[in-house]
Amino acid sequence: MPRRLARPLVAALVLSGLLPIAFSTAPAHADTYFPITGSGSTWSQNALDQWRSNVAKNYGMTVNYNGIGSTSGRTDFIAGTVDFAISEIPFQAKPQDGSAPEHPTTGFAYLPIVAGGTSFMYNLKIGGIRVTNLRLSGDTITKIFTGAITNWNDAAIQADNPALAMPNKPITPVIRSDGSGTSAQFTLWMATQYPKLWKTGMTSQFPSFGESKAQKGSDGVAGYVSQDYGEGAITYVEYSYAKKAGFPVAKVLNAAGYYVEPTAYSVAVAMMQAKINDDSSSSAYLTQILDGVYNATDKRAYPLSSYSYMIVPTEVTSKGIFNTNKGKTLGAFLRYVLCTGQQQADTLGYSPLPMNLVEAGSDQIKRIPGAGNAGIDFASCKNPTFKAGDSPSKNQLAVIAPYPADCDKKGTSQCTTGTAGAANQTTPVTGSGTGGTANTKTNTGTKTTTGGSSNTGTTGGSVSQPTYDENGNVIAGSTTDGTTSGSGTTYGAAVSKPFTLPDQTTASTQWLLVAAALLLVAVVVAPPLLSQRLRRSGGADVSR
Amino acid sequence: MSDLMTEVVSTPATAPRTFLGAGLDGEDEAQREVRGFTARQRFDLVGAGAAGAALAALLFGWFAPLSGAIGWVVVAFLAFLGLYVLLISLDSGLEEVKDRLSAALFSTAGVILFGVLVFVVVYTIARGVEALSHPNFFVQTMQFAGPLDALDIGGVAHAIVGTLIQISIALLITIPLGIATAVFLNEVGGRFARFVRTVSDAMTALPSVVAGLFVYAAVIQGITHERSGIAASLAITVMMLPIVIRSSDVVLRLVPGNLREASYALGSSKWRTVWHVVLPTSRSGLVTAVILGTARGIGETSPVLLTSGVSAAMNTNPFKGPMISLPLQVFDFVRSPEPTMVARGFGTATVLLLLVLFLFATARALGGRAPGELSPRQASRARATSARDLLRIASKKLPDPVLEN
Amino acid sequence: MSDRSIPSHPGPAMLAPAASPAPQPADGFEDVPRRVVSKHSFGDMLFQRSVLAAGTVTVLIMLAVGVFLSLRASTALSKTGLSFFTTQAWSPETQTFGVAAVLFGTVSIALIALGVSVPLSLGTALLLSEVLQGRLRNLLISLVDLMAAVPSIVFGLWGVYFLQGSIIPVSKWISIWFGWIPIFAVTDASGQPQLQPSAFTSSAFIAGIVVGLMVVPTQTSIMREAFTRAPVGEREGAYALGATRWGMIRAVVLPFGKGGIIGGTMLGLGRALGETIAVYMIISPIFTINWQVLKTGTNSVSALIALRYGEASEFGLSALMAAGLVLFLLTLVINFTASSIVARSRSGVESDV
Repeated sequence: MPRRLARPLVAALVLSGLLPIAFSTAPAHADTYFPITGSGSTWSQNALDQWRSNVAKNYGMTVNYNGIGSTSGRTDFIAGTVDFAISEIPFQAKPQDGSAPEHPTTGFAYLPIVAGGTSFMYNLKIGGIRVTNLRLSGDTITKIFTGAITNWNDAAIQADNPALAMPNKPITPVIRSDGSGTSAQFTLWMATQYPKLWKTGMTSQFPSFGESKAQKGSDGVAGYVSQDYGEGAITYVEYSYAKKAGFPVAKVLNAAGYYVEPTAYSVAVAMMQAKINDDSSSSAYLTQILDGVYNATDKRAYPLSSYSYMIVPTEVTSKGIFNTNKGKTLGAFLRYVLCTGQQQADTLGYSPLPMNLVEAGSDQIKRIPGAGNAGIDFASCKNPTFKAGDSPSKNQLAVIAPYPADCDKKGTSQCTTGTAGAANQTTPVTGSGTGGTANTKTNTGTKTTTGGSSNTGTTGGSVSQPTYDENGNVIAGSTTDGTTSGSGTTYGAAVSKPFTLPDQTTASTQWLLVAAALLLVAVVVAPPLLSQRLRRSGGADVSR
Repeated sequence: MSDLMTEVVSTPATAPRTFLGAGLDGEDEAQREVRGFTARQRFDLVGAGAAGAALAALLFGWFAPLSGAIGWVVVAFLAFLGLYVLLISLDSGLEEVKDRLSAALFSTAGVILFGVLVFVVVYTIARGVEALSHPNFFVQTMQFAGPLDALDIGGVAHAIVGTLIQISIALLITIPLGIATAVFLNEVGGRFARFVRTVSDAMTALPSVVAGLFVYAAVIQGITHERSGIAASLAITVMMLPIVIRSSDVVLRLVPGNLREASYALGSSKWRTVWHVVLPTSRSGLVTAVILGTARGIGETSPVLLTSGVSAAMNTNPFKGPMISLPLQVFDFVRSPEPTMVARGFGTATVLLLLVLFLFATARALGGRAPGELSPRQASRARATSARDLLRIASKKLPDPVLEN
Repeated sequence: MSDRSIPSHPGPAMLAPAASPAPQPADGFEDVPRRVVSKHSFGDMLFQRSVLAAGTVTVLIMLAVGVFLSLRASTALSKTGLSFFTTQAWSPETQTFGVAAVLFGTVSIALIALGVSVPLSLGTALLLSEVLQGRLRNLLISLVDLMAAVPSIVFGLWGVYFLQGSIIPVSKWISIWFGWIPIFAVTDASGQPQLQPSAFTSSAFIAGIVVGLMVVPTQTSIMREAFTRAPVGEREGAYALGATRWGMIRAVVLPFGKGGIIGGTMLGLGRALGETIAVYMIISPIFTINWQVLKTGTNSVSALIALRYGEASEFGLSALMAAGLVLFLLTLVINFTASSIVARSRSGVESDV
């Protein structure tokens, strides 16, 4: 009997124990490389996931990566629970945001792995048509992410987008809820460029404000913006996420007066201005100083460009899990990343590393225990930013980078072509130069006042989704046709149409409708009820 | 049949004539059926339903510019309730109205509950089919699949294996420890046992994420220094152990005392009583307890979220390197807004769901019987054994007394 | 295997010593109950020792969890003292952290969950125990039990990918028509009503519905079990006195099942408080008290732990453990209250929840 009790349990155990053995024979690659584990940034996770699968296919390396945010990655590295970490910012020994200072106890080195642009992915429709060519200037962005600008029809946004009739729609800024390098890069940019507007300094924990919405990870913010209910939302996220999600990003105004999209080219051009800490004795060796990038005067430069770093160990300690066997894998992986891996950067939505950083990275690889003294063979390195024999300060991408079209210049007009994941969708606008700057300004003024008086109701954007209108005629007559048509008269057209019916009238008509509905019910129910009552009283009389 | 009594009591005039006779005759010994419907009641239901739907359609289409499917359903339902009450009240009293209305409300609650729960499951499976229709989903890992790859590359074999390894380790600890503790609570007793029971009852209140946090802080940061399969197993164990103890305790408590007493009366020791009487009697219940605990342990995401780490590759060594499991893999997939990743997430959730369903069905098949109640096969086996015993005893009957004396 | 065990069974041999000192009942004059002094055999001792060891190990594991949590939590709690319960922000590094906001969020989500689950489970439990019959009934009872085993991540997926988008009109409708009730209003900082869809996402309301559906099967089966236990005699008595079915339910089933209703509700509450992953997937975490349950932004203790454990410093982890401990104690109180209510309501019936 007792054996009968044990039998099913034992069978279950044996079964579950055998299955893994049956499966474990499947990946037969792993010959000499020990698996390595890392965690950190979601900013560069798309690139890392691609490389991870590439080296698994080609070299049989197992690289585990857990995108849990840069701050968590650095914490894991300090705790020694990972072999490497990825972060956009170095360890924060004196954090500006009052978080705990980070003091790694083991040796480490920074190693740039990929460049990219922190972009502003948005979900906006005007009259039911998706906007794909939004342009924003730096201080507008800062005001949006501090809660100073709360509506898409704000004069500042309108001024950035002369050809769009910005709808009266609240802005939903989507921020990161976890400690994130993207937040750190973005806040560093705001703190450097707009210290009057952004007073918090650089912080990994973006402070929530007003109508902001916090989501975890780059995936989380991008995912929120790309939902139907994310209409009106804007977030800061690496360019690749917008590309993947099929959504546009805002072109950002650079110091040369052009609105630029964070393509591989414009990031490469901007990063030419980055100062790199080249004091190899400093623990912050190879970290970036980005002031030059923010103010790059090249017309093609994207101001919010930056590098992402891998933090690698330079010593083996008993505290962590790193050892020289893993160092060998890590070295081989990094040699792949810095050369061949960079070829896919553009496709994924990043920008490949230039030669000087690959050179420096090559030296850093040698410091990893177990990685061997072989640096990078520049003759066979397939990095697209340089050819064999180039000077380290040259970047092939920056040489061939296209100049922005005239319509991307501030003030006059606006290109109709889409950006990022929505590159093939043009936004139907014809706001050509005839309108002129003066016209734009006056019209903007008029529009703002109109928008202010027209109350905060449902906006034109809701037209595309009539199902949202449970409450009846909130939407009934308000078909805001925001799409612009004429040149120069663009604003007039948008202004002349009412954006929404005011709520007050809605409420009173609702009550009328309720009364009508009650009447209908009464008409249906009253006759049979009355006749029954009559018959019953009649019947009662008869029985008595 | 009919709700005869209520009809008789509340509205004698309109009571169905045929039943009145049959009921009072007393010849019809059949039990009165209180749970059925008469034709009239059916008509009330159908009529009110149709009228409610029609009224809602009228309101939505013509009278009030209402819109939305949910709004329509709500309005139609309210109209139905109103009309239903009206219809019943036409020929019945207040009590009858209350009775029928309450039944309608219970049924509504049931329809909503089962509708939603079944929908949750069906929705998951329906959206998972896209990924599940690729057979590679079950045999490959995500190691070779990059973020741009389509569904025909990559799968969740590593997560399935990870789940099985983690739950096996957890069971290896939980089953002996849990059942032995439950036996201790029931068969040994005493003050200490009461203390153990209190503590383990208290631990059922431990939120699973706190169990994960404990293992993260104590084991990962303190001992292993890396997220691994064993850490995840320990977190699952901490979460599952109180559940298994509690349900095994309940099952053991259901073993009838007279069985134990009979065993003691035959002179067997405590150990033999437990091994040959208590455990076999409660076998199906114990298996059910363990399997339901397993289902809970497999499905819980939060303890593994903190402890197992994320890996795209097959890892069969629980002591080294991250080992992902199904629920965490679902969570990891659906973080990404990409359609292929979301499809994979739903596919993985379906696999997890099917695993849990399988466990549950097993638990149902094995358990669901009261202690001592035998399945037909067990019963015939027991009969055969008794027959053999009888033969054996009969054959030994003569020499036995001689030997004893 | 049982036939193998019988020969090894030392039945008669063991019976003999116990039987011999027994007084002869036939004599009649001395009817003292036999003193049962069981001599422990070696096997018995081994058995006793080993199950005792198992019990001890179990207790040690659990005490280790409790003590470890309390010790680590006390580091954080000693820094803040009672302000831990009144501070809304969560910034352990600057020493300003507390559970006021997260606890409020946790409780509000759990209460919304109960608002959804209790009517549904009460109605369904009565439907299953009093209205339905036969095959359908058994099928549905199994289905309820099965649903209790559905992993929470499945509910979370459904909540994020289906409910979040489709509940917006309902939330909006409630906020428009019942906005005069403060908790149903959805306004921005200046008090203007909000109408854009994104204002209604990631709210305590949505998380509450999902968690409510998650706990509904557990509650239903506990309540149904309690209702079926209502004695048949009383039921028939009620019918015999001319009660309708509803009258019988009100007079017999509900009073008898009261313990089950309360116990089931509270056990569901306990589970709702601790639910992590579904809440974590849905909400947009904030660290202020948000009374507007339909409006985006809420928080919960378990979601806070899942969100912040990775980046927490040593002290930050202590703070998280303090939050976890508070949640644990809250759940503990609720569970014990529930089980004592259930136990008290079930005099004489030998079973458990």
